[in-house]
Amino acid sequence: MHLELAAQLTIDGLLLGGVFALAALGLNVIFGVTRIVNLAHGEIIVLAALCASVAFQQRGITPIAMLPFAFVGGAVLGAILERIVFQRLPSDPAGAETTSLLLTFGVAYFIVGFSLAVFTGDFRSTPYLTSGLQLGPISIGESRLVAFVAAIAIAGALAVLLRATPIGRALRAASQNLEGARACGIDIGRMRTISFALGSGVAAAAGSLFSMIYAVNPDSGSQFTLLSFSVVALGGLGSYAGTLLGAAILGLAVSFAGFFGSAQLGQVMPYVIFIAVLLFRPNGILGKGAA
Amino acid sequence: MSDRRIAISLVVLLVCAIVPPLGSGYVQSVFYIAVLYVALSYGWNLIAGYAGYLSFGQVTFFGIGAYAVALGVTRLHLPWLLCAFAGGAIAAILAIPLGYLMLRLRGAFFALGMLGLAQTTRIATETAPFTGGSSGVYLPPGSNTLPAYYWTLAVLALAMGLTLWVDRSAFGLRLRALRADERAAGTLGVDVTRFKVIAFVLSAIVPGLLGGGYAWYLTYVDPASMFSTRIELQTVAMVILGGIGTYWGPLVGGALMSQVSESLGARFPQGHLMIFGGLIVAVLIALPRGIVPAISPARARRAARTAAAA
Repeated sequence: MHLELAAQLTIDGLLLGGVFALAALGLNVIFGVTRIVNLAHGEIIVLAALCASVAFQQRGITPIAMLPFAFVGGAVLGAILERIVFQRLPSDPAGAETTSLLLTFGVAYFIVGFSLAVFTGDFRSTPYLTSGLQLGPISIGESRLVAFVAAIAIAGALAVLLRATPIGRALRAASQNLEGARACGIDIGRMRTISFALGSGVAAAAGSLFSMIYAVNPDSGSQFTLLSFSVVALGGLGSYAGTLLGAAILGLAVSFAGFFGSAQLGQVMPYVIFIAVLLFRPNGILGKGAA
Repeated sequence: MSDRRIAISLVVLLVCAIVPPLGSGYVQSVFYIAVLYVALSYGWNLIAGYAGYLSFGQVTFFGIGAYAVALGVTRLHLPWLLCAFAGGAIAAILAIPLGYLMLRLRGAFFALGMLGLAQTTRIATETAPFTGGSSGVYLPPGSNTLPAYYWTLAVLALAMGLTLWVDRSAFGLRLRALRADERAAGTLGVDVTRFKVIAFVLSAIVPGLLGGGYAWYLTYVDPASMFSTRIELQTVAMVILGGIGTYWGPLVGGALMSQVSESLGARFPQGHLMIFGGLIVAVLIALPRGIVPAISPARARRAARTAAAA
């Protein structure tokens, strides 16, 4: 293999991985506090991507300018979902897992139906920054580069929020030890709502950025759900560095598989990795890392 | 108790066998869709209700059955009924290694693994050289509604029979034990893996057999609609509405919702998804065990005892 080609695919993959990381971080925040595996995560990403695409094509608003709106919109949606739906889970943990899976499955398809009604089934993308930067033999897609930088900036802001603010500390306490956090006077119900808002807001921001890279339609949601879980399976829950590393590995895998195999192989790569990782750790890294 | 269940089931099946030939083509298609979804619901209930493993990818086996008929009839010129049987057999054979693989995953990971499996199979079918790609396969046109209907009704009878057997047998008891607590069941000597895989295979045979009938009924298959997670969504919603892990749940939920599905599906595909997605959420919040346990107190008490974990 030519060195230029390898460098090209590596850079493409790493840039992609930045946005993957953001999508997975949203999932992490929600699972950490609520222990809910949110199957509707990808649908929120796709809804935001479709909004970003329409905003660009009809109003000329760039996906970067859309980021604050996407974050707020996603956060409001997440908070509403938590208040109306996910607060009503049964208290025993086993029953709660089954019920929460079914609930998020239902919510996912509710969002798919809503997106179809609003956006039709057409594939949409955002043709923003379509040129490439030439670095010697390597061409870096401007849109990917900008999406990457934005994703890393948001991920960094999230890290600061979780590390250095009172709410962030409370969220982390709740995800480390629910009872202990409750005993310290942290309002767990409120933390659950905040984690859903924060996680969904981050997902929606990732969705805006994804619209610069992929064409999506309302049915693409489950692909992004699997993609986010694939990163989490690789990188582990609650580990910030792990998520970034997992996302980088997945980005590289998608980039190389898409080039040497086919577009379809690139598409199924997250699933293949998800299964491969979990076969060696059947309980998932989720269950262990956060408990 | 069981005798009464057998008697009522036979009456339902008998009515379903007698009415459609007397009715119009519309009546026949209404019955076909209802019986198809009730049968799919029984299939899903075996793995999700009795074994407690939520699969969001049983539609994989449905698609395999549909393609067995589509390709067997058009490429190999075999009789469709033979291909439909073969579809069930292929589903069963594939379900054995898949079951050993997938059932190693627990809870959410199994659900995600199966969801991705359906997606991956769809993409593979679109890409493979012999499947007609994403544009699909046309079968010879003809008036196939009644043959497909009776095939589907026979599969429903099989699915109800299997469910009744699981509900009453020592096998079913062990399944419910592992649903409640897999580790404890293993400690007590239940061969957990074997029982899970058997339940998975049974739950795969049903959609595997049904898919062939569907292909023959529609005379057209394509990957997007045969491996559609919408079929999965509807099946899940019907079982949840009727009562997961109960014998009558799939019948009640499937019969109630299949007509909503059919009348809305063609005209408002988006509204249809919102209704089924919303239905799952609404039922789980308002009536978590579904209709059947709610109207049958004795059964609800038993379900409450055995299904703490389901």
